[in-house]
Amino acid sequence: MPKRFDQARPFLTLGFVVAGWFVIPTVFKTFTRASFFELTAPVGVAASYARDLQEYWTLRLHSNSELIEAGRDLARLNASYDLAVQQNIEMQGEIARLEGILRLPSYTGYQSEHARVVRRDFSGWWQRLTIRKGKNYNLTVGAPVVFSGGVVGRVSEVFAYTATVDLISSQTVRLAAVVEGDTRPISYQGGLNPTFGSAGGVIEFVPLDIFASANATKRLVTSGLGGVFPPGLTIGSVIKVEPSTDGLFKSGTVKLDDRLAALTEVTVLLPLDTP
Amino acid sequence: MAADENNLADRSGRLFESQKGYDPRVVLFYFIIVALLIVLTSGLAYQQLFNAELHTERESSQNQRRILIPGPRGNIYDRNGQLLVGNRPRFAVILYLDELRAKFRAEFIRIRKNYRAADDKDIPTADQLWTLARVSVVQSYLEQINAIIGRDIKVDSVRLNKHFSRELLLPYPLVEDLAPAEYARLLEHLPVVSPLQLYTTNTREYPFGSAASQTLGYVGINEDVEADNFPGEKLRTFKQRGSIGRDGLELKFDSLLQGEAGGSIFRVDPLGYRLRDAKPIESRLPTQGQNLVTSLDIDLQLAAEAAIGDQTGAAVAIDIKTGEILALASKPDYDLSKFAPRLGHADAADITAREAWTNLAIGGAFPPGSTFKILTSIAGLRRGVLDPTKPIADCQGVIRIGNRDFVCDNRRGHHGEVLLPEAIAHSCDIYFFGAGRLISPDLLAEEGRRFHLDQRTGIELPHETSRMVIPDPAYKEKVIGEKWFPGDTANMSIGQGYVLVTPLEMACFAASVARNEVFTQPTLLHNPDAPVQHTESIGLTSTQRAALIEGMVGTTTYGTANTLNLDLFKIPGVRIAGKTGTAQKKVTKDGKTGNINFAWFICFAPADNPEIAMAVMIEGETLGENFGGGRYAAPVAGSVLKKYFEKKNRPADQKLAPFKIE
Repeated sequence: MPKRFDQARPFLTLGFVVAGWFVIPTVFKTFTRASFFELTAPVGVAASYARDLQEYWTLRLHSNSELIEAGRDLARLNASYDLAVQQNIEMQGEIARLEGILRLPSYTGYQSEHARVVRRDFSGWWQRLTIRKGKNYNLTVGAPVVFSGGVVGRVSEVFAYTATVDLISSQTVRLAAVVEGDTRPISYQGGLNPTFGSAGGVIEFVPLDIFASANATKRLVTSGLGGVFPPGLTIGSVIKVEPSTDGLFKSGTVKLDDRLAALTEVTVLLPLDTP
Repeated sequence: MAADENNLADRSGRLFESQKGYDPRVVLFYFIIVALLIVLTSGLAYQQLFNAELHTERESSQNQRRILIPGPRGNIYDRNGQLLVGNRPRFAVILYLDELRAKFRAEFIRIRKNYRAADDKDIPTADQLWTLARVSVVQSYLEQINAIIGRDIKVDSVRLNKHFSRELLLPYPLVEDLAPAEYARLLEHLPVVSPLQLYTTNTREYPFGSAASQTLGYVGINEDVEADNFPGEKLRTFKQRGSIGRDGLELKFDSLLQGEAGGSIFRVDPLGYRLRDAKPIESRLPTQGQNLVTSLDIDLQLAAEAAIGDQTGAAVAIDIKTGEILALASKPDYDLSKFAPRLGHADAADITAREAWTNLAIGGAFPPGSTFKILTSIAGLRRGVLDPTKPIADCQGVIRIGNRDFVCDNRRGHHGEVLLPEAIAHSCDIYFFGAGRLISPDLLAEEGRRFHLDQRTGIELPHETSRMVIPDPAYKEKVIGEKWFPGDTANMSIGQGYVLVTPLEMACFAASVARNEVFTQPTLLHNPDAPVQHTESIGLTSTQRAALIEGMVGTTTYGTANTLNLDLFKIPGVRIAGKTGTAQKKVTKDGKTGNINFAWFICFAPADNPEIAMAVMIEGETLGENFGGGRYAAPVAGSVLKKYFEKKNRPADQKLAPFKIE
């Protein structure tokens, strides 16, 4: 009998632990979970800094001529960007003037917060990034995240020094999008994506007069109407639309930017004031 | 020790009972048990083998629920593919009440606890507490929506309770008809997985508002959506409301336009809540109904309606060769967009007050006035009593028939001894009084019946009136109970008296005359490959026909409809053959009795090679007002004809290809 008890002891212990976990208050469990992330976050952050250092020393290995050439390229790019910025300022002025004439409500203003990517977590169920900024930079849950190619996703959790971003390829992200050149909002949602495959999403409630195919893709952009993302940011390319059986709408497939799987730096947009 | 063992041996014999063999009483119990087992097994086998279907059915009806979702209706197009009636999506936020069971229970407990804690003596009943709990939970979800879209909507507890008790598995709409911006905000702010979901239903959309309203018709709510070939007919079924045609083409072609309902069958618990995360046992998507391509040309329709304006009247344009209706206008009309999603009481009362429900083109029977003289002419020519080269009367403005004076153009007509073409062009009543007398009322009525003016046209619309009358002496004897007098013949010959026709009939009559045949079957369905209609020939000689056409062309050039000679209506290179008419009808309006006039105009064009025929009727508003067809009805036809030839003469690259639904 004692021998049998000894044999069953591990199971009994597990049972007690599980039962104990069930009766522990939710507050404690939430605290434990958050603490786990907070405690493990420095490991990820440290690894990220180590990678940065590694990249820094890799760059240090370049010759002076290469660096001078790169500096020239960068100067040219800066010049062209300066020009684009000036043009943008002019266009923004014109837009503001027209909005004033038409008495249109202005879009939300944003403050940009650039953040390095610490970790990428891609599974069939969710696709996430961990970034190296959190509450310490006033990041908020739901804030839009973008990169040079368009939309990255939305902040889903914020910790002390890190934050988790749900990518737009994740099924938990839904946006109000428009097909470029159109004004009618349609629903974009991340699709069921394979872990190592190219990412995609689905669009629904597409008006019947919108056509797209793999050979004639349409650019899908944020509508700005949803109040989270500013308008005009690229979401992806519509590669297929087909009518639904009810004849009211079409639904379709969106191909996302392949760079989403290899992002190293993103920008979190923090609303300046809530409309 | 040995003594102890002996004692034990002695006593041990008493510790065991010896088996004496089978006790007959025990054996009997064996049989009883076996028999009971056999009965039980047989019963189970019987239920399993013979009553399996019954039990399956009972299990299904208790544990399964069926949801039916109506399919959107098909679209209605004009002949060029312009959308006349479509479907507009309606975005809504809905709440799946059957996913909130735990929340309702928790709220119920919380409210009850609060009452008890407050030591309230007046604790509501359990039913009232449940209602409070449901309202509270649903309101908390509604607050989320209010915060996102900036509204202040409260839960309607009566509606919520009704929905909960009768339609638990159907989504409960919290906010309907969301604006695009509201829909977009909710898309980004609502969690993807939540009992709150964005949902689309649809309602009819009318891009041209009130255009062809009575012809297109409207839809009403269909509470009894059916899904053919979808299983589970005997299950408790929740049906979303659909729509059903109530008037016009929507009613006539309801079975074609009606979409096929989709549906799902779900497992539920004993309280009727859907099992958590349960996938449907059966599921089918709704499909849209078939589309309908009408023969209407929306440009001509709009031109006709604009030309009638605020007057009361109707205009019909018809393709002479195929009988396809190009325009079917009736005023007053109503704005179809007010029917989507449903017509309010105030709007319905307004339509009733304006008497706008009736499609006057098919639902109103009116005396045709002098447009009927074309029929009188044909009857006279065919019977040989009229000769285009010989006058039959001397018009001095008045003639005595029987014991009554009959006048021409209110005694103003002094046409003298005119021939048939001039008599038609100037609409000389005295000439046609004489013609009627020569023809006889029976033969005149026979001619009218030959042109099918005494019966419905059979157009694909509901509520076509049957009140049309082509009278003869037998009719008067039977219906009025009086003898036929010569004055009745005189009245009939100029389309007055007892003669009643619809504008659609007169349009078909004009088309038939244009084709030199006796009947035109009108249709509202477009067929790009429709053959030319052919019926019995009118039977006029070429000379007789030439005289008739000459008279009708004269009407629009120098006669009673010479308004069409104005630059506003003139169509280069196109001669219009027409005939005006003005009929009177005794009515009582605002306590006063008097005559109101009906201004008529029938025509076809081009006179030499006819393509389009028209009939226009405008009803006078003021008692005793002089309301001539040339002044009030002909301009309506002129506007439509101008639009028709303008479209026809467009450069080839601007023309639309014939429209077909693939």
